[in-house]
Amino acid sequence: MEGMENLPEEQRDALLQKIEELQVRDSLRTYNSVVERCFVDCVSSFRSKNLDSTEEKCVSRCCEKFLKHAARVGMRFGEMSSQSEQQMQQMMQQQAQQGR
Amino acid sequence: MASPSQAELAKSLAMAQQELDYRVDLFNRMTSSCFEKCMDRRYKDGELNVGEHSCVDRCCAKYWQVTGIVGQMLGAQGQGM
Repeated sequence: MEGMENLPEEQRDALLQKIEELQVRDSLRTYNSVVERCFVDCVSSFRSKNLDSTEEKCVSRCCEKFLKHAARVGMRFGEMSSQSEQQMQQMMQQQAQQGR
Repeated sequence: MASPSQAELAKSLAMAQQELDYRVDLFNRMTSSCFEKCMDRRYKDGELNVGEHSCVDRCCAKYWQVTGIVGQMLGAQGQGM
């Protein structure tokens, strides 16, 4: 993560620890939200206690689709993030030069 | 220059955590919104088709732009206070 090299070691460790906690929390939340989304989209009849094969297939595809979608968003997010970062740095450099 | 005080370090760590939380939340919301806008919910297939791929790319780009505009406007409001 940018700027992390500037922090002293114990702060860095604390931050890494925090990042790991956030990752765990985020995974659990994603789990629940995918379940809910696929349930809402795929299951609509309650004549039986068990999912029928249509519903099962639907849930599998829904899950697969969401994961692939999230991966693609992650890719674009990373690209746009680093682009913004570069633009910010350029702007700051320009401002610093003008300040001289 | 003297090394930063404990208080300053604590503050920068807290800021870093806030930044991280914000980015994770931004990513999750972007993912969710673009899923709703772009995906065929009949789930005929587990793969994304070409149309969906393009839609996701454009959706992310637009979402990012909205983030920028809102950021500017909220920032301007803050200064006006």
